[in-house]
Amino acid sequence: MRPGPAQLLLTSLLIFAASPLHAAPSITTEHATVTLLSEQSGADSGGNLWVALHFELIPHWHVYWRNPGASGTAPVIRWILPEGWEAGQIRWPVPKRIRVGPLTNYGYEERVTFMVPLRAPEGPPPQGPLKITAEVGWLVCREECIPEEGRLTLSLNEQRRDPDGSPDIAAVFSRARARWPEPGILTGRYRLEGDALAVSVDAPVLSAGAVGDVWLAADRWGPIAASGAQEWRRTQSGLALEVPAGDLPPVGGSPLEGLLVMEHGAAPGSHQGYRVRLAAPPPGLRGSPGLTLALGFALLGGLVLNVMPCVLPVLGIKVLGFVNEAREDRRRLALHGWLYGAGVLLSFVVLAAGLLILRAGGESLGWGFQLQSPPLVGLLAYLMLLIGLNLSGVFSVGDGWMGVGQPLARHGGLGGSFATGVLAAVVASPCTAPFMGAALGFAVTRPAWEALAVFAALGVGFALPVVLLSLWPAWVRVIPRPGAWMSRFRELLAFPLYATSAWLLWVLSQQVDASAYGAALAGLVGVGLAAWLYGQWRPRGWRLALTGIGLAGVLAMATRPLAVAEPPASADERPLGQPWSEQRVRELIDEGRPVLVNFTAAWCITCEVNEQVALGTDKTRSLFESRSLAYLVADWTRRDPAITRQLERYGRSGVPLYLLYAPGLEQPRVLPQLLTEGIVAEAVEAL
Amino acid sequence: MLIRLSMFALVGLALYACGSDAALRVGQPAPDFEGTDTHGQVHRLSDYRGKILVLEWTNHECPYVRKHYAVGNMQAQQQEAAAQGVVWLSIVSSAPGKQGHVTPAQADELTRSRNASADAVILDPSGEIGRAYGARTTPHMFIIDATGELVYMGGIDSIASTDPTDIPKATQHVRAALREMAGGKPISDPVTRPYGCSVKY
Repeated sequence: MRPGPAQLLLTSLLIFAASPLHAAPSITTEHATVTLLSEQSGADSGGNLWVALHFELIPHWHVYWRNPGASGTAPVIRWILPEGWEAGQIRWPVPKRIRVGPLTNYGYEERVTFMVPLRAPEGPPPQGPLKITAEVGWLVCREECIPEEGRLTLSLNEQRRDPDGSPDIAAVFSRARARWPEPGILTGRYRLEGDALAVSVDAPVLSAGAVGDVWLAADRWGPIAASGAQEWRRTQSGLALEVPAGDLPPVGGSPLEGLLVMEHGAAPGSHQGYRVRLAAPPPGLRGSPGLTLALGFALLGGLVLNVMPCVLPVLGIKVLGFVNEAREDRRRLALHGWLYGAGVLLSFVVLAAGLLILRAGGESLGWGFQLQSPPLVGLLAYLMLLIGLNLSGVFSVGDGWMGVGQPLARHGGLGGSFATGVLAAVVASPCTAPFMGAALGFAVTRPAWEALAVFAALGVGFALPVVLLSLWPAWVRVIPRPGAWMSRFRELLAFPLYATSAWLLWVLSQQVDASAYGAALAGLVGVGLAAWLYGQWRPRGWRLALTGIGLAGVLAMATRPLAVAEPPASADERPLGQPWSEQRVRELIDEGRPVLVNFTAAWCITCEVNEQVALGTDKTRSLFESRSLAYLVADWTRRDPAITRQLERYGRSGVPLYLLYAPGLEQPRVLPQLLTEGIVAEAVEAL
Repeated sequence: MLIRLSMFALVGLALYACGSDAALRVGQPAPDFEGTDTHGQVHRLSDYRGKILVLEWTNHECPYVRKHYAVGNMQAQQQEAAAQGVVWLSIVSSAPGKQGHVTPAQADELTRSRNASADAVILDPSGEIGRAYGARTTPHMFIIDATGELVYMGGIDSIASTDPTDIPKATQHVRAALREMAGGKPISDPVTRPYGCSVKY
């Protein structure tokens, strides 16, 4: 509250009493004593001078951090400086969390020092005393809040007489620096998942001592809700946190900047802060199908499922069964159809839920990252091959289930129709397996609701014909007669899957060297052989187990080399580009040459296109030559951590990224993600 | 058997989905509430279907609230809203014994002495309504449109200070939002930073 006249008078008296000078560097209010200190008596040779606002607070009262949290406001300083002097930003010490009921604030209790760098103007230091004035406003709270303010003036270049009992100034400054966040910035990523942010931080620095608690605060209001529990756990590369999302996520893919605070288990009250910059999730992954496309495919897949050899013959029979049940009652017939549909949908959704539970148990990375792990690419190639072989008729899966459904479905009545629906997915499993497998391959890396949506779409597509037929049973005549064409159609469907396998093998060839690739190809043969053996002999019991073990062995042998393989020698792959390294960039700039760095990866179709259309053309090549421009390529196909860090420094979590360095430019110029010859030429010529 | 299993799974999924507290978001239905005002009348969100509703969390002793009331900013906006046919409810969620807690008589006296013209002052000492809306500060403003959807949440204006001279310099978010709604335009800043003292639950 604004001080009344009596308080004003008292404060003025205190100010006059505190120092022999009219203008005082210290002010004492009801809740705080604030002192303006300078580290040196004048600016140093570099023209810098650190000053500090030191707060001594009465017990249980606090002032706030730059982001005060759920309520409150941070202290505000208005500087009045001599001619030409400039004040920098406050260096905020690491705050603590202060809880007020269900709300959490970030602030400081007891004492805190806010250091601010001042910069003197160029030229010789002026003689005589210099006045530095800070008009400070702060909010100090316990449960209730009082806004306070003061005007503090400090004189430099003067003999300072330390009044009795004043703090040792050097000690104040060094203690203040000790409470700063650690130098440097940790990188990481964040992803919005419902009401929470899933955050991962690359933090190899985890102290050996016990870590009591870890929490994340954003620099500004918006992305993270200060009140609300946070969870954290260690991961291979650092830390993963789940924090409650705030009112407003960062806009337009801009990075989230904040502070990661680690509280020590051994010494309660002591904590360390680390500045973090978290990259936004990539807007849409190039080269991978969007959700609507996937849903469309799933729906189509579900429809196609109905013409599979194991489904089509019974399709008509099912509908006629409903007709018999319902006799003349059209509405009852429709009800049968809807229940069947509900049963199908339920079983697909339950299957998806089961998959998600399994996935939640493991660590999950983003879709784009998945293609960076060679063993996984190899396994996906094998999976696509197996599905293709299944469709080609080399082996079949789940035949034993075919008879399971019959007794239950014969129960009849409405319940029977529902059961028929639920079991339809299972009963038709020899045919649904390939479609499930493909949906699985897509859904395993997507957020939960997307995966559920894809499986639901599959279910809808599958149930649709029967539901439609139960509404208009006359159309039963239109169902194509089962025949050999069904098998041929199914075999035809194998080829898109072989093509997918081939693409994955091409990606793999970019990631591993020739001998590891050879092992993977040999594994392919082994997988084909196992599939044929299974199809021929249909082993059961111990024979099945033996086959399973044998196949697992083959897979392990084939994929182990992939896990440890080196990337292929790419010297002749890209005649234009030298391999990238930060050091090489520095060397080239020191030589006075401009540098263009192309961050790319084998699966990135946009990168390929840009290289064909803009970077690799003769015109561009001769432009580079004429400017003596060095062209470096950072190939991310193999998940190089140095490249990942560099991408994150520019707020990206994927490729492509094009950086144009030039001697004399402080920061490289970031080129757009879609390049043309013209864009490249304009950028290079502008240097 | 399979049906039973499927049923359990579905029920489990449903419970899981409902169990989590969804955070308040603009564009979603505003949480229902039931509050008693200083005259003993009960107000529910559903009572105001078909009207635009402004909720103002307040605490008459908080310096940030005093800033707006001392120079008549809040009162003026309440009157403007009334002229537009917008319903304005002031809500006090301070717990008994905490700063800002008032009896109905005290609240009415404050309304009279400050010349406030909210349609009603709702006393929420249990903090139930405050918690339902995630009200954190005083003042904290929410605007709900005629269909019951939350369209604005955040601060009364854009400068977080206790200095009344900042009021003319700041963007008055609530006033701007109500003007945009009257003109049939979408609200340009539907989520802003709420500032003030913490709500004294």
